[in-house]
Amino acid sequence: MILDSLKLNGKVAIITGAGRGLGRAMAVKFAETGADIVAAARTQSQLDETADAVRKTGRKCLIVPTDVTDSAQVNALAEAALKEFGKIDILINNAGGGDGSLGKQLPEITDDEWRRGLDTNLSSQFYGCRAVIPQMVKQKRGKIINIASGYGLRGGKHNFMYACSKGGTIQLTRSMALTYAQFNIQTNCIVPGIFPHNEQMMVFFKGGKFIPIGRVGDDSELGPLAVFLASDASNHVNGELIAIDGGGLAGGIAPTGVSPESSN
Amino acid sequence: MAPSDASNDFSLEGKTALVVGAEHSVGRAAAVTLAEAGAKIVLASQEPGTDKQLNAVAKLVTAAGAKPLIRVQSASMRADLSATADFAAKQLGALDILVNALDTPAYGPAEASDDTAYDKIFENNFKTIWMSCQEGARVMLRQGGGVIVNITSVLAERGVPNAALYCATKAAVLNLTRALALEWARKGIRVNAIQAGWLDDEASPANKNDEFSKNLLKYLPDNRLVKPEELGGALLYLVSPAAGFVTGESIAVDGGLRARV
Repeated sequence: MILDSLKLNGKVAIITGAGRGLGRAMAVKFAETGADIVAAARTQSQLDETADAVRKTGRKCLIVPTDVTDSAQVNALAEAALKEFGKIDILINNAGGGDGSLGKQLPEITDDEWRRGLDTNLSSQFYGCRAVIPQMVKQKRGKIINIASGYGLRGGKHNFMYACSKGGTIQLTRSMALTYAQFNIQTNCIVPGIFPHNEQMMVFFKGGKFIPIGRVGDDSELGPLAVFLASDASNHVNGELIAIDGGGLAGGIAPTGVSPESSN
Repeated sequence: MAPSDASNDFSLEGKTALVVGAEHSVGRAAAVTLAEAGAKIVLASQEPGTDKQLNAVAKLVTAAGAKPLIRVQSASMRADLSATADFAAKQLGALDILVNALDTPAYGPAEASDDTAYDKIFENNFKTIWMSCQEGARVMLRQGGGVIVNITSVLAERGVPNAALYCATKAAVLNLTRALALEWARKGIRVNAIQAGWLDDEASPANKNDEFSKNLLKYLPDNRLVKPEELGGALLYLVSPAAGFVTGESIAVDGGLRARV
């Protein structure tokens, strides 16, 4: 039955960046769908809130405060998950985001900012994949979901570290997919459009009214897509990018006549 | 709060669906998936004389929980697709979901392909889908929305020798999907595509145990063909209310083929 194949009963999912926003929304949705959650983020208090929401569904939540730019901490995250649950079915590399240097003139960008930008969004996902893959190979099954961005596929003015790292996410996804297809491990990418949990970006994107469908995304809308990609219903979907962006990438933003740069 | 059932996100209880091209393997698989998820269904074929095939599909769909209605083309393509969309809306109460699953294979050297072959493949693989989208949308716009999924192929974005026209029609369907998605984005109709990998079905050139098939299997990331029913998960996700923010997108079900060099 197709609906049964979309359940995550008894699965163990590590979710980074699970302290807020899309990460928390996915954690709660996964728990509602039957998965136990290993929630990673830097801030303990935010993780506590996520864990409360997860536990309300009746599922377990292990909290592992983690700086995903530190590979030793990411390895420790995978070890903690394995120790607690004995397996790792799903990894969602969600942590990351823009930083204060977005929009900065190129000559002003420091080496540190460049490295930090790539570390936050790309190295972190590489560390995550590397940390879980031995266990997934041993299990001969696994699902990895990397969160990218439309800027991984298209460019933007004064957008360097973010676009480059998200482009790297997409290539990381493809290389993982091809390397581990033989081990029944599927790696895919979600490409979220504009989701309204970042005030700075909301202002920049004019509230999202240029989006073809006419609205921004809601955090709750990401969960079902992640469930699909974590479930047996997607066992032959591999190395794929799925945009959830209200049609943004289908045509670019110009056809609506309300681009982020224009004033209307 | 009681835990919510994940199947609620993807349930199609109370939804209605028209599958055009239900006599093909992917149409059959699509219809079974939609039925399992709770939709009411009309099976349609644009190939005159396919009553027997559609009846066989109807049995599978019935076993999956729906009692499908059947329509085999009996007029010109335009008139028939128009009447079929109206029929589905009238008989089922609405037309929420339209799946276009038409797929006619065509292989052979380009220099030997004549104008008749060109007309036939563009008619079967593209024109039918274009008209079906138009006629389905006509009904959906009237009722305030709906969702369309066009089944195309990974060959929409990759070339292969001896299938130039086939590749061209598949690319046409993919970009038709994007353009229609934008056109109807604010009118409540979502339009998405699924790109099937090399299929293991009756029409496939890839399961013949010949040199082509053997080489292809070696090239596929997980060394196997796609079973038509494996398209079901992506289809159900795309047509479900849970994908309300997804339009103009395509999901490949190809085991990773499109990701590789």
